[in-house]
Amino acid sequence: MQYAKTRPLGKRLAMTAAGVAISALALAGCAGTGSGSSTGASGPKTSIQFMYATGDETWNSVVAGLVKDFNAKSTTTTVTAVPLPSGADYATQMKTVDATGHWPAIVDMRDTPTYIKAGKLAPIPSEVTSLIAPDAFAKAADGNVYTVPYSALNGELGINIVYNKDYFAQHKLSVPKTYGDFLTLLKDIKANGDVPLATAASEVWPADQLWKPLAAPIFAQYSDQGGFWNAAKAGKVAVSDLRAPLQELKTITDDYVLKGWQSTADAQTTTLLVNGQAVMATSSAGLGRLMDIHKVDPKFNAGIFIVPDAKGNIPVLKNSVDGSTAGGLAISAQAKADKKQYASSVEFLKYFYSVPAADLMEKAGWISPNIVDSAKVTHNSSIPGASDYFALLKNPKLVWYENAPTFTTFSAFNTFFRQSRIAMQDGQTSIDDTIAKVQAEFDKDAAAG
Amino acid sequence: MDGSTTTAPRVPTGAPPALQPGTALRRRHRFPRARWAMLAFIAPALVIYLLMVILPSLQTVQLSFTNWDGISPSYDEVGVANYTDILTSGRFWNAVKNTLILGLGSAVIVNLISLVVALMLDKLNHAMGFFRTVVYLPALVSAFIMATIWKYLLNYNFGIVNSALRHLGLPQWARDWLGDSGIVVWVLLFIICFTLGGNTTLIYLANLQSVPQELLEAARIDGAGSVKVFWNVTWPMIAGAVTVNMTLAMIAGWVLFDQVLVLTTGGPGFVSETMAFFIYKVGFGEYRAGLGSAAAVVLFLVVIVSTVASNAYMRKREIQA
Repeated sequence: MQYAKTRPLGKRLAMTAAGVAISALALAGCAGTGSGSSTGASGPKTSIQFMYATGDETWNSVVAGLVKDFNAKSTTTTVTAVPLPSGADYATQMKTVDATGHWPAIVDMRDTPTYIKAGKLAPIPSEVTSLIAPDAFAKAADGNVYTVPYSALNGELGINIVYNKDYFAQHKLSVPKTYGDFLTLLKDIKANGDVPLATAASEVWPADQLWKPLAAPIFAQYSDQGGFWNAAKAGKVAVSDLRAPLQELKTITDDYVLKGWQSTADAQTTTLLVNGQAVMATSSAGLGRLMDIHKVDPKFNAGIFIVPDAKGNIPVLKNSVDGSTAGGLAISAQAKADKKQYASSVEFLKYFYSVPAADLMEKAGWISPNIVDSAKVTHNSSIPGASDYFALLKNPKLVWYENAPTFTTFSAFNTFFRQSRIAMQDGQTSIDDTIAKVQAEFDKDAAAG
Repeated sequence: MDGSTTTAPRVPTGAPPALQPGTALRRRHRFPRARWAMLAFIAPALVIYLLMVILPSLQTVQLSFTNWDGISPSYDEVGVANYTDILTSGRFWNAVKNTLILGLGSAVIVNLISLVVALMLDKLNHAMGFFRTVVYLPALVSAFIMATIWKYLLNYNFGIVNSALRHLGLPQWARDWLGDSGIVVWVLLFIICFTLGGNTTLIYLANLQSVPQELLEAARIDGAGSVKVFWNVTWPMIAGAVTVNMTLAMIAGWVLFDQVLVLTTGGPGFVSETMAFFIYKVGFGEYRAGLGSAAAVVLFLVVIVSTVASNAYMRKREIQA
């Protein structure tokens, strides 16, 4: 047996030292600094990050435009837009952010109660909330506001039905004024030999698009009790009280929805509508969906409506802090701990809710948030169908309601409920079994939260 | 030929040869120094591995007894509640069933197909390199990308598979391949088998080419046909490769994730969730890190037990050339 030739002691020591140095560098590179505060290296401006969820091309361009305009105007702050990478769900992405210890100053926030409980968010100061219409945001259980809307989408006005206006005109159909009218509309389109509705469930969250309007009349009844789920936790209602909308959901899915919905992605419903494979499509992107349709086919004459209730009211969830809303902007607790970061965050949010910023958003095809000065905003009505959207905002039948669960495990429950509904719509489980399973899960999660 | 009569070469036993005077002393000096140098080089990787893999793995066991949401700085001990929840959950057992179908199914099917392909490649006299490359090519594409391509191919409304069926006058055969709860798991099995065969085939091919020719010739001279030669000579001689390939395929099957995430996200509903996907979904997507950790511990035990058991069984029938 032979051993490798040994080197002189000095060389060995030098090599060992080099090895240790390299490993120390590697370890240092792996380690996080744990600090969220930084100032611009090239000047007195404070640098902050704005992390936003991608996926909608219109929103991406809005963020880019706003950040560019703000950076040009601000003498104290530089904002860097950081997109949340696509390809994973929001919770996974945020956990990665949290694990690195580098929270951005401003975050596109969902599942808010979980992050409030974890102490990751700072209250939004009144100097920001005073710029926003009071109906467009809500307080958390502790009385603080943690998220503010990045669009008029908040409040779930964006969950609606997009339809082919030319088809409606050709067949003398009209936008439904009551839920009964909606059912008649579905029947009439089917009688024409066409598919009334395209919807999607390849991702789990679009399952809300058809469900929410059907359940909204019941949810709206518990608005003054903090919402249906809080009432359920208090034992005043149960999941079985949602039997009627669950039955409606099943019936509409079976009788009127385009086949293949289980594996259809949300964005594909635009193509299905434009290709004429369905006359209507569910959406939760509001004006953004109209923009998408316009890009795919500029000649397509699209319109928007929200499924009304039996009396003709249009109950719409207002912006709240629960995990089922479209989300909002939040200031991270890490930024709050750094005076400069916090001041810069507030400065950016104040800009975000200003008239010039709203004008920029509208110009890019985005619906600006409901700010106090919204009368001064120049709305973009050049997108086909946009007038329908703006008309909804002014519709006297529009009824805002709240549904803000106070238990922090609501996000987990909501995901389970969505998946259970999909299984029921797909015929894997009966309505009774679904109610029983969902109630059991609710009891467990409500008790844990 | 009776495989059981062939034994592994014996390792020489007895006392080591006497060393020259002074040699042992020199080795005692040299050996520890060399060891220290080796350790110094290994240390960075070892430290990183311990910190990044072993320690978190051990922490998973601890977290499995808590109600941690994965975000909050604090959590409560909940005893074995997570394990009780998992073991009494229909959703979890559905994931176990799917994992068994996909894990064992893909292991058996991939090994069968790979062995047949390897046997065909082994008989080739021309363009062997070309065909080897063709067989191995799918293994070069990541499971994520391959699954994405399949997702487009199998889309109900736009996919080429259904479009082709409709154009061929067979619209009744068009299915929602990834959305029909009755078939979706089997469609996943098909796609997984399609992408996993490259490495397996190469391992079989290498083993086939190392089967001693004299044994094959002797069997043929004794009058054995192709099937008998394969069954009595080739098959026992590649038993080691079967063990390796089955073990690797089963482990890959137990931890199937990418394809499920891309193709079905566990749906429709919960119907196509696997154990690995279940862990991801509850641990990350539903903010139940404690429950996800408990599921991960269960999956770890399943992988260990099944791998050890299958290895023990398959090693019994291995022989050494």
